[in-house]
Amino acid sequence: MKFTFRGGVHPPEGKELTENCAIAAGPAPKQVSILLSQHIGAICEPAAEKKQEVKIGDVVGNSEAFVSAKVHSSVNGIVKDIALRSHPVLGRVNGVIIDVSPDNVTKMPAAQSLFTDFDINKYSEQAILDAMGNCGIVGMGGAGFPTKVKAIPNPKSPKETLVINACECEPYITCDYRVILEWTDQFMAGVLLMKKGSGCSKCYIGIEDNKPEAIRILKEKTSRHADVEVTVLKTKYPQGSERQLINAVLGKIIPTGQIPPMAGIVVCNVSTAAAVAEAVVTGAPLTHRVVTVSGRGIKKPGNYYAPIGISAQELIDHAGGLTDDAVKVIMGGPMMGFAIGDLTTPTTKTTGSILALTAKEVGKAKFGRVQTNCIRCGRCLDACPERLNPTKIAHAVKADMLDVAQDTYITACMECGSCSYVCPANIELTGYIKTGKILLARKKKNLPA
Amino acid sequence: MADINRLIVSPSPHTSNGYSTKAVMLDVIIGLSPAVLAGIYYFRLNAVLLIATCVISCVLTELICCKIRKKASSVGDLSAVITGLVLAMSLPPALPLAYAAIGCVFTIAISKMVFGGLGCNPFNPAMVGRVFLTACFGMAMTTWTMPASLNPEMPYIGSSDAVITTTYTADETTTDAITGATPLGWVKKAIKTRNLEDASRIVQANYANSQVKACFYGYTGGCLGETSAIALLVGGIYLLIRRTIIWVVPVCVLGSAFLFAEVIYAFDRTAFANPLLHIVSGGMMICAFFIATDPVTIPISRKGMAIFGIGAGLLIMLIRTFGGYPEGVMYAILIMNAFTPLIDRACKVKPIGGVPGGK
Repeated sequence: MKFTFRGGVHPPEGKELTENCAIAAGPAPKQVSILLSQHIGAICEPAAEKKQEVKIGDVVGNSEAFVSAKVHSSVNGIVKDIALRSHPVLGRVNGVIIDVSPDNVTKMPAAQSLFTDFDINKYSEQAILDAMGNCGIVGMGGAGFPTKVKAIPNPKSPKETLVINACECEPYITCDYRVILEWTDQFMAGVLLMKKGSGCSKCYIGIEDNKPEAIRILKEKTSRHADVEVTVLKTKYPQGSERQLINAVLGKIIPTGQIPPMAGIVVCNVSTAAAVAEAVVTGAPLTHRVVTVSGRGIKKPGNYYAPIGISAQELIDHAGGLTDDAVKVIMGGPMMGFAIGDLTTPTTKTTGSILALTAKEVGKAKFGRVQTNCIRCGRCLDACPERLNPTKIAHAVKADMLDVAQDTYITACMECGSCSYVCPANIELTGYIKTGKILLARKKKNLPA
Repeated sequence: MADINRLIVSPSPHTSNGYSTKAVMLDVIIGLSPAVLAGIYYFRLNAVLLIATCVISCVLTELICCKIRKKASSVGDLSAVITGLVLAMSLPPALPLAYAAIGCVFTIAISKMVFGGLGCNPFNPAMVGRVFLTACFGMAMTTWTMPASLNPEMPYIGSSDAVITTTYTADETTTDAITGATPLGWVKKAIKTRNLEDASRIVQANYANSQVKACFYGYTGGCLGETSAIALLVGGIYLLIRRTIIWVVPVCVLGSAFLFAEVIYAFDRTAFANPLLHIVSGGMMICAFFIATDPVTIPISRKGMAIFGIGAGLLIMLIRTFGGYPEGVMYAILIMNAFTPLIDRACKVKPIGGVPGGK
């Protein structure tokens, strides 16, 4: 039975560019920049000094705060500097810049033989949580919430249900899909470890119906586990958003302002589950991940297992380079990703894809786009998954009436981009709402606008 | 890295569906075309000239206003074309073209461009135009012609009021036009008698409810585009399928009007007209599908649209039954347009997870 949620849009999927590309080796970098903020929570303090020799897996950033995660070196090398590097969201962030040594070994994905006949009873709950913490596992779907903090039992709100996010609702991205197809046993082990580590009694794997091969494999694997179930969902953006995922899989609506753990639900991404499995079974820290390099502005799209901290330029070059008609390079997906102009921007634990789009793919959302008056057609209200009034919020921000914007629930917006996608007048609704949120946050802290 | 210079950095989303305001307007024009064609079929040359005059006047006025405002011409979004079409459809076919042109200039300049152009007008421009013309040229606005396709021998509504103008030539006698009352005209006449006995005589004597079919297909007197209910219905269904309009407004307008008409019809069957007649005659159909659905001037939430539709339907029937005019669409719509901001405030859209902080 297919489940779904209210609103949403269905952009062209673009998955055909890379869904059949097996995970390939990434480029061998000359330099990596391990950013000290790759997660929600406190920014790490550097744990390495200039000219220090580091090996792959060494801790280079750490924090005392409860909500934080360690960062590790992804190469053998010498620390060149602790300096600012571009970050798509935060602007400029400190990172540990490491020059790669000639003796660097290209790390391969974990051998799948390690996960066949996986026995969950070999690992205690505490061991699982410790591995998550020591290996710096964070939510790799984009938000980057430290997984240990998410899974740690909280007596005040016990967790009962684990929902695995296998939707990959953004167009073009296929990294999680390939992980399910190629690292199936590792992924299943990760699911069981997440379930045990968080203390959940039941697990659902939510997957969109545009991945029939993955559905078939998962249904076969989960048939052995009574408390792990595959739920097929209608393909619609943003099905992978955790609130919409919980709504579609469990039929529950999380109240505005609350997070799923308050309702006893834990949501986990596919790559994160695979990383947990590798961390617990082999002890390897999170230093590499699968990144989809795609879009019609890339000459040879594919899925690459690349070290974290490699620059976007190196990945793009490894994938054949940009075509002549590429106009936008995006870290993330086309709906919520961040356009970058500086290709030295390093990847982080949460970078699932790097896209290069042509003018045709960008369509009327182009630079110098002509925005006409809002005709109040209501398409944005119909498309909003949270049932907000995007045009009212955006125009309140435009008219500098932030109190009206707050009144119309601007903070409930998750910036999914569905409203801008459907607007016939080509208004940058999401852009205005993002600006409004930043202005409101600065106002709260009494910073100048 | 000369590449960097051509990369665009702008906020997400980085893609969009292909729809545009012009495409929305084009859909409305396609939805109106069955009724436009019906109007031309029934009223021949008068219809063609009137529609052409209205559309050209509206477009030219918008062009000139944009020039005065020193902004790029917004004529390409086709909204002026639609205002011209809808206004033409709601005018009597024999209206002198000069009057129609004046009405168009007034409405585009004053009720739309002065407020800021598309999306900024508080009142429906076509209805403002019609009200302006009714105020200025009342007589001409209430002179109706019968459809050219009608057989003069056939009994039709208001036959007792018909005036046949004929020109005599050497070879034959041709009938130019037959002016006569419209279905709503004699309904109003019946009501004005304030006397149920007299009213029932008039309504019965004029084959009242057997004329529903005439009004449905359109071979009756009336405004240019309003006579053929079926043509409007076909266009309306097209718009519903394309999601250019939402089902809430037509259903609420027609539903509430029908309910009101049913109630008073039940009160006295011989003195008041059949509710179906009210639905298919006059501006009711064009209002339900093309006028009350103008997104700029109606509430934006579904609940608000429902309130707007119910209010409009009720007002139309109130004016038809108890007001001084045989047709109430234009005033009903303008009155409800005035309520739109209040309705929007009352029907605030709430997030799916509830209002932050409980409730």
